[in-house]
Amino acid sequence: MLFSSVPFLFYFLPCTVLLYFAVPKRLKNTALLLCSLFFYGWGEPRYLVFMLVSITQGYFLGILIERHRGQRLSKWLLGISVAFSLLLLGYCKYADFFIRNINALTGLSLPLLRIALPIGISFYTFQMISYVADIYRGQAPAQKNFMDLAAYIAMFPQLIAGPIVRYTDIAGQLKDRTHSLAGTALGIRRFITGLSKKILIANVLGGLAAAFKESAEPSVLYAWLYAIAYMLQVYFDFSGYSDMAIGLGHVLGFRFPENFDYPYTSCSVTEFWRRWHISLGTWFRDYLYIPLGGNRRGKPRWLLNLLVVWLATGFWHGAAWNFILWGLWFAVALAVEKLWLLGPLERHRVLGRTYVLLLVLLSFVLFDADSVAGGFSQIAAMFGGGSLPAVTPESLYILKSYGIILVIAVICATPFPKKLAAAMERGRYTGKVLCAAEPMVLLALLTVCTAYLIDGSFNPFLYFRF
Amino acid sequence: MSVQWKNRVLVAAVSLFLGGFMLWSIGKPLDAESVSERRPLAGFPALSGEAVLSGRFMKDFEQYTLDQFPMRDGFRTIKAAATLYLFGQGDNNKIYIQDGFASRLDYPLNRDSIAYAASRFQFIYDRYLKGRTQNIFLSVIPDKNYFMAEKNGYPCLPYDTLVASLRERMEFARYMDLFPSLQLSDYYRTDPHWRQEGLVEAAQCLGAGMGVDLSAEYTVQPVEAPFYGAYYGQSALPLPPDELYYLSQAFLEDCRVYDYEAEAYIPLYDQEKAGGRDPYEMFLAGPKPLITIENPRASSGKELILFRDSFASSIAPLLAEGYAAITLVDVRYISPQVLDTFIEFGNQDVLFLYSTSVLNNSATIK
Repeated sequence: MLFSSVPFLFYFLPCTVLLYFAVPKRLKNTALLLCSLFFYGWGEPRYLVFMLVSITQGYFLGILIERHRGQRLSKWLLGISVAFSLLLLGYCKYADFFIRNINALTGLSLPLLRIALPIGISFYTFQMISYVADIYRGQAPAQKNFMDLAAYIAMFPQLIAGPIVRYTDIAGQLKDRTHSLAGTALGIRRFITGLSKKILIANVLGGLAAAFKESAEPSVLYAWLYAIAYMLQVYFDFSGYSDMAIGLGHVLGFRFPENFDYPYTSCSVTEFWRRWHISLGTWFRDYLYIPLGGNRRGKPRWLLNLLVVWLATGFWHGAAWNFILWGLWFAVALAVEKLWLLGPLERHRVLGRTYVLLLVLLSFVLFDADSVAGGFSQIAAMFGGGSLPAVTPESLYILKSYGIILVIAVICATPFPKKLAAAMERGRYTGKVLCAAEPMVLLALLTVCTAYLIDGSFNPFLYFRF
Repeated sequence: MSVQWKNRVLVAAVSLFLGGFMLWSIGKPLDAESVSERRPLAGFPALSGEAVLSGRFMKDFEQYTLDQFPMRDGFRTIKAAATLYLFGQGDNNKIYIQDGFASRLDYPLNRDSIAYAASRFQFIYDRYLKGRTQNIFLSVIPDKNYFMAEKNGYPCLPYDTLVASLRERMEFARYMDLFPSLQLSDYYRTDPHWRQEGLVEAAQCLGAGMGVDLSAEYTVQPVEAPFYGAYYGQSALPLPPDELYYLSQAFLEDCRVYDYEAEAYIPLYDQEKAGGRDPYEMFLAGPKPLITIENPRASSGKELILFRDSFASSIAPLLAEGYAAITLVDVRYISPQVLDTFIEFGNQDVLFLYSTSVLNNSATIK
């Protein structure tokens, strides 16, 4: 079920909130689990099995790991649990990728498995791995209550597109959390902001990207418009989802970690990855990069670690070579920055921002491509390759038609609106106006979002496929 | 307003909005069809184990919630207004409005579609016309975009290329250029079609090309009901309705229209349909695979076979002045393979009269 859908907003959410607040405190996690299972099963009932199997192995192995902590057996149990999670993910997500490549390399014709990817499996797999790893390291106790563990893994706000909430982040909240009017209002504000980012900006820009792909009249201008629109769409789509997840968490009494921090204002790729999909970046840092030795074992090993981590990051995003190349793209950029460029980029911030925006823009063209060759041909088209005309009537129309939304998107991708609101809040009169206007503005946004949903516009979440 | 009050108002307002619409959706009676969009609306889907496990129930349920949402048309209007006036987009769901005229963007040129349409016309020529008649004509009807897109910065079809491409593939037909005899005011503001009262010059142009004198004087008759065209519903904006007129003349009163599908005579102008869901269907009763207009007052025994789309419904009565019989064939609704079951092909005049919209989206031609 999509957050940005009528069944979720006008059926599932009111019923869930009503049930959640109606049951006594000791049953809240159970109510949350049941609602989450319904939420997940709504889209793909069959895939509930994968998730329940994953939770069950994590539950039992987590307890065993804790029981044998400090012993050799504990490491084996951790290995079994991680291998189980990765095999499940590999089977569902990567099997056909490997079969295709084996076929291509050997000339064999092994049949593809054609397994439809269970939604959110990449997210809950990583949560489960972090859970057992934290128990192994002694950073978290094993959860003895199956319902509570299942409620953590299956929790619907963050289940299918993150943020990747670690068990240590919310273990205490699973046991004891508070609900307040202020928290609920904060959650609603965050949810509607995220919904608006998704529906009013990301989906509209998705229309531009889709029009470009369907167009029979490509041009250099159109290729750039597409690249910019897609780069902004990915940000508003994914950060909008994270906002909605965090907002729903607030309503239910949870505090999820932030996932985005204005990444397009970064001055280096290093900074960009500290601001973009933060929960994934820190996950790879804590559960792969540091265990591999990080930067503590000399330069060659450090470069190798960087390469491995970014190969994994690219591969996590999709089972295709363009995703792997996308990860390597950032591995190279990060290595070059750390070796030579970071200092100059931080000193010349305008230059740094331009460099980051260009690099990320081109990376997302590759990210969105059907193939590596298609990605590079698209990048070439942006620089006049393929003898494309500079402009066509269609591209001029698209520029005119999407100009305002592009400007709005660019402004909203910076901290400017937030700073403006904060400044207004501090003002004696503007603060009062803002306080009075806020519920009306949010309700108006919710109304317009509903209108866009009912009109049935372009709506898929990009990160669902991960 | 204190922060606490603001929070109270916000939580109450959003809860009321979500909960209220949920209860309203559940409690309201089902709407069978959307008048503005001219389509049936989804009802509550059938619930079964198989439907749930396959995900079909969920998909259908989502469609049901969208179709049956309270104040649906009002929400669609909000979306259209936000798209066009708040975000300044040029079109809403490809519908744009300029100078009070609504039109649908139709670009780029679909060369495969033109080639497919021409191949079907070639089949008709090879099967029924070759060696039987020399009087084969072709004409193309421009859509509204021809008059309003380019000058307002909207992309549109390369009309010259479209016509040239079709003519190149239909060398068996003589082309008659209708473009100069039409202007934007000859079309409805809220509908893709042209106005019959604006077609006298276009009909004369076709008549001249086919060697038929069309000189009748017509009286313009109004239809009382307002005409909300197809783009009215699609635009979702409160556009003023069009006024619907038809042309009357003594010879038309004696004309009879035979509908091969119904095996019955039908009215030339169907007044009942003028007040129905699509008032344009008043002309020759709307989409019909095969009909013949018989004109007992014709000065000659000449006959015309008109391969056509819906635009021809309003111009065909004006062409009837010069023909004893006009058989209108819509090969979107009847297979060209079976035409000789109903039509005896001989040395009739034959006219292929198609709009650019159908030619550029010709998959429906059989």
